[in-house]
Amino acid sequence: MRDKNFNQVKNLKRQINILKATALTTYKEWAAYRSHMAVSVLVGPVFFLVQVFIWNAIYSTRETVTGLTLNQMLVYFGISAVIGYLTYDSSDMDLQMLIRTGKFITFMLRPVTHSYFAFSQKLGHRILALWVEFIPVYLLFLFVFKINLVPANIFWALVSITLSFILVFLTNYCIGITGFWLTKTEGLRRAFLVLRDICAGVFVPLTLFPDLMQKVLFFLPFQFITYVPIRVFIGSYELAGIKMSIPQIVGLQALSVVAMYLVYKLLWHLGTKRFTGVGA
Amino acid sequence: MINAMYIHLQGIKTALAVRMAYRADFFISIIIMLAVEGITPFVTYLVYKNGASLPGWSMYEVLLIQGIFLLSRGISFPFFFGIVWNTIERVREGTFDLLLIKPRSVLHMAIITGFDSEDLGKLIGGIVLFTAALVNIPFPGLFQWLMFGALFLVSLVVMFGFGLILSGLGIVWVANFRVYEIFFSLANFGMYPANIFSKMLQTFITSIVPVAMLGFIPASVLLGRPAEGTLYAVVVSFVFLFLSLLFWKAMLKRYNSAGG
Repeated sequence: MRDKNFNQVKNLKRQINILKATALTTYKEWAAYRSHMAVSVLVGPVFFLVQVFIWNAIYSTRETVTGLTLNQMLVYFGISAVIGYLTYDSSDMDLQMLIRTGKFITFMLRPVTHSYFAFSQKLGHRILALWVEFIPVYLLFLFVFKINLVPANIFWALVSITLSFILVFLTNYCIGITGFWLTKTEGLRRAFLVLRDICAGVFVPLTLFPDLMQKVLFFLPFQFITYVPIRVFIGSYELAGIKMSIPQIVGLQALSVVAMYLVYKLLWHLGTKRFTGVGA
Repeated sequence: MINAMYIHLQGIKTALAVRMAYRADFFISIIIMLAVEGITPFVTYLVYKNGASLPGWSMYEVLLIQGIFLLSRGISFPFFFGIVWNTIERVREGTFDLLLIKPRSVLHMAIITGFDSEDLGKLIGGIVLFTAALVNIPFPGLFQWLMFGALFLVSLVVMFGFGLILSGLGIVWVANFRVYEIFFSLANFGMYPANIFSKMLQTFITSIVPVAMLGFIPASVLLGRPAEGTLYAVVVSFVFLFLSLLFWKAMLKRYNSAGG
């Protein structure tokens, strides 16, 4: 029993070391291209500036739009932008490239699963984005645009963003797995990303959608990627006329992560059976 | 001239043949391109369906601006804006050198080999959106159509200017595909009526970086209410193209081969 516990601790330590080493390598690798990431410091505020003018014009003749005030609407877009920097993921593109080129075969021989490796890479990549993208844009929104980007409850906001971080990874990774069936999946990948972002509430709050669509969106997992973290950040949740407390909706978000993990496991099991790599 | 056009057609033919190796992905990509470009009009639709509006502008008038913007991109992106992607990719791989040794102008070769067939989806989307908006507004007269035609050509001039700037950046800023985002963030201003922006911004998008020419100015003529400073914006557009060309040539001089 003692030996078993000892082995478990040893294995956990090993996994943490792999995570740290991969994340650090990715961080260093991408730090060489930090100017690419820093484009966000220009692009993010410019996109937001357009939103400010559009919504100011819209609200010039009315107080609220689907129950949201001008300030709430701008906060929505502000949070959406900065959360995007924290949760961005490219594991779908990376995995599909590895499968298409046959380089994936090298991962079949490594003592670490590709998904864990990819997740560790994402972690390193996003840590870099934290100071190159997130913090500068956050400060610009806060001080230049005077957008209140302070979460209603910091604990629940952090939990929700963390769950979103994992969920984005799992959903994208599942799209990457489709590369085992389809030779070139760039089209499908982009289709999914568009659908995901629309249904997640990246472009407009989901409450602007027609009632029927809101009801459908409530039962889809996409709202947990952007819409839910934003509403948790703001401190109130409502969709399709359904109001929930913050702990309740974060609980549902956690369940969606578990469900997505099971989908990933199933797809991975079926997909790797199909893989044939020759002389990569 | 005929020879140059012949080479251009050959470039298009070759690019289409290469893309057809993955037909299913090609057609999916075209449909996706349509869907991606539909996001802004869809948001406009949602806003108006919720009873809100941009003051002084009906939904179809705003959609007309966005349709013209999309039409302009639908022509420029497949036929010459591919210079951006082509340059960045070639500089990264080291194959940009090959363009330097061809018996043609480097710029012409960069455009020809950058034909992007997937972006034809934007053209289809532009035609659909433009037509849908047009049938829901008072039909423009002949003079308005002529003015619109001329201004639409100027919008392509501005697009080409942007293509040159981004491509020039791609020569020195290795492997940074995010230059597209810089363009999209600025071009966003051309997709909405200019009067919703502050005076300073209106001056900026008509007289400094003429993004208003990409959608708003041609649409205003078609709607029978020409935008303030249209003539000035036309002149600025050509100056913009000239400066972009100078910029591109300056960047080309700074090109350091990666030796791929």
